[in-house]
Amino acid sequence: MKKRFLIKTRITQQLTALFLTALLVAISGCGDADMEGEGTHNKETIVITMIAKSSANPVFISAKTGALKTAESLTEKYSKLKVVIDWQTPANESASEQAEIIRNVVKNGNKAIIVSCSDEDTLTQAINYAVDNGVEVMTFDSDAPNSKRFAFYGPDDLEMGKKLMNELAGLIDGKGKIAILGGNRMANNLQERVKGITKTAADYPDIEIVGTYYHPETEAEAIAVMNEVIKLYPDLKGWAMVGSWAFFGERLKDVIEPGTIKIVAVDALPVQLKYIEKNYVQVLLGQPTFTWGEISVETVIDKIYFNKKIEGIIRLKIIPVTIENLGGWSRQLKAWGYKDIPEKYLEM
Amino acid sequence: MSSKEIHKTASKDKIPNSQKFAYGLGSIVNNLLGGAIGYMSIVLNVGLGINPALVGTLQAIPRLTDALTDPIMGYISDNTRSKYGRRRPYIFIGAILVGLTFALMWQLPEGYSEMFYFWFFLIGSIIFYLFYTMFATPWVALGYELTSDYHERTRLMGVMNFMGQFAWITLPWFYAFMENDRFFSDSVQGARTLAILIGVFVAVVGIMPAIFTRERFVGQDKEVRIKNKFVEGLKKNVALFFKGLLITIKRVEFLKLCAGTFFVFNGIMLVGAFSSYITIFYVCGGDKSMGAYYMGLFGTVTTISTLAAIAAVTWISSRIGKRKTFIIATAIMFFGSLLKWFCYDPMVPWMVVIPAPFIAVGMGALFTLMGSMIADVCDLDELETGERREGMFGSIYWWMVKLGMAIAFGLSGFLLNGTGFVVDFGGAQTSSTFFWMRVVDVGIPAVGALIAIYSIASFKITEEKSYEIRSELEKRRNKSISVEKISPST
Repeated sequence: MKKRFLIKTRITQQLTALFLTALLVAISGCGDADMEGEGTHNKETIVITMIAKSSANPVFISAKTGALKTAESLTEKYSKLKVVIDWQTPANESASEQAEIIRNVVKNGNKAIIVSCSDEDTLTQAINYAVDNGVEVMTFDSDAPNSKRFAFYGPDDLEMGKKLMNELAGLIDGKGKIAILGGNRMANNLQERVKGITKTAADYPDIEIVGTYYHPETEAEAIAVMNEVIKLYPDLKGWAMVGSWAFFGERLKDVIEPGTIKIVAVDALPVQLKYIEKNYVQVLLGQPTFTWGEISVETVIDKIYFNKKIEGIIRLKIIPVTIENLGGWSRQLKAWGYKDIPEKYLEM
Repeated sequence: MSSKEIHKTASKDKIPNSQKFAYGLGSIVNNLLGGAIGYMSIVLNVGLGINPALVGTLQAIPRLTDALTDPIMGYISDNTRSKYGRRRPYIFIGAILVGLTFALMWQLPEGYSEMFYFWFFLIGSIIFYLFYTMFATPWVALGYELTSDYHERTRLMGVMNFMGQFAWITLPWFYAFMENDRFFSDSVQGARTLAILIGVFVAVVGIMPAIFTRERFVGQDKEVRIKNKFVEGLKKNVALFFKGLLITIKRVEFLKLCAGTFFVFNGIMLVGAFSSYITIFYVCGGDKSMGAYYMGLFGTVTTISTLAAIAAVTWISSRIGKRKTFIIATAIMFFGSLLKWFCYDPMVPWMVVIPAPFIAVGMGALFTLMGSMIADVCDLDELETGERREGMFGSIYWWMVKLGMAIAFGLSGFLLNGTGFVVDFGGAQTSSTFFWMRVVDVGIPAVGALIAIYSIASFKITEEKSYEIRSELEKRRNKSISVEKISPST
């Protein structure tokens, strides 16, 4: 009996050894194929030049973080691909400097550019020059729709305006006078947002838009306009702001009392968070700026490495920020690379 | 015997280590088969573009067929009389067939429609699960009958559960393997190769329990032959099947074990998705790579702790008994679940790993002790009915586990929606959403653990009772053997 058991144990050992060997052969077979592949094909390096509007602006630092993290994870995931981000952003907004960078990229032979256009007309020519010379170009945040770029990633400004109006209507129970703070009259994206607001306001018969107020895009100018309008319309119920200029300093506190006039504004940057906390503004429409870099890099790789078909316009999803999700949004901003977020918000 | 006396396992009741190991190999195969489809199904969506709802349907339908095939297989195995035993022939043939089917069902050809893939995979899945049942049900039953000893059963289940963990360690790597462009051009090709490797492994390793274990009840029961015509035989078998099924599901001690398992296991399964979401979106503020790191760390700590817990639980239960050990282990898990409330802190993310070892103790104890306790119930059942029905008990128990798991996966999506979670908002969920996600994450496993403790607290088969049952059964068997020996008709 014992002898029979020993024989069987030996058979088990032999079978196990045989199976392990078979597995090893199978695995080493795969390994050979890989080594052969590595030997005959070099690891492909794709350099993507990233040109944001301004390297001083935290929204673009966050976009850069998204691009770098995505490049790193793609390089880690694919053994035959290396993605490198070449960050070439002017210190301050300058369309001509951006155009110059694009021309240099063509000379350097980089394969792709992702760019947020400071000026549509100036950049359209430069983008077309790059594309004509074999460089793939994608825009994010701010588009050059008439250029030969293969895709744009950014918000639908018309939809954003509609959302802004719906949020404000909810806050004032669908009735009362409201004003629109419009920023730069010449900016196409801001115009689209204003259009979205006015279109949607038509759905609320008891809401009256007293006017759309344009101004140079600084805090001081925005506050001056607001002050004037509030004096003109003391019964004003709400402000629809297509940008966040009014929150870039401390002056807003001198113009309105918290909660007396409801405000919904675009963007939810760290400097604006205290205004949410103190109820000066009830809803901010935040843009996931990290994804400007993340989605753009993924899309470029899908296009030039995987030869996938890409949609011409890829829409960014807006996140409403209120006192309810101030903590979550603050932690999300930190994860996206924003600095100087007060700890009390991170703990909320 | 005094109630505090601890029985020592007699040498004749000890299962040789080689047999424990061989049985444990079955556990690796069983867990691998149970988890592989789930871990590989992502290829159906990502690689072949099948709608996620259809992929969900593909996973749900076999659960329905299991409800029928599992108890039938249990009944067939319990009532099989062959010179190789009641379990081993099915384990042997089942392992080969399930390995073959698994390898074939993933050989999905390219360039066909979504519905072609749906039907191809559905038919393949149904055949696969049929053969999986053919292997797993007798294998589970075999574990309940390899020894009559109260403590040796726990040791066997400890070895089985310990070895089975290696499948769970391997499974999360499947996607990375299939997606690895060093080996494969795409994930579909990766799935084809991986399925062949798994199929070969299952066929070769799965037959080991059949070859190297010994059944205790071969030829000991009196043979029941149905000499009637086929239809009458079928009718009689169907009647016997339902009678057996009813007796099984009415067995109160068995139901307590089912309840204990259901609430502990599914409590954890139900919130499995929540823990990932809370780690990524709450603790790590939506930073997916940081979240993945901590989830990986949590998984590693859980695995190591589970292995240690299985060894500890096996040893402790031989000192204080299975019921007390289960209650203590589940209480530790309850404590671990509550710890999550304090340790899931965005300001100190690494603390997410602290509850892991506490929760692992409960999970490690669960399938070590439950298998052993079901074997004790099988003895009680034999004492009262005169039949050994490990197959029936095992199949209903595991079907209940699988069904519970399917319900848990289905419900977790609804629960997540119920908390107000919006996927597009990433880490910017509202405070109330995070609050309710955390309440569910902590509350469901904690409440599940308490219900399980309540269910098992009144489990009547103590160590002393178990040895009394065994003694009575052995007397009865010896009597039956001697009667058979003197009877001229046999």
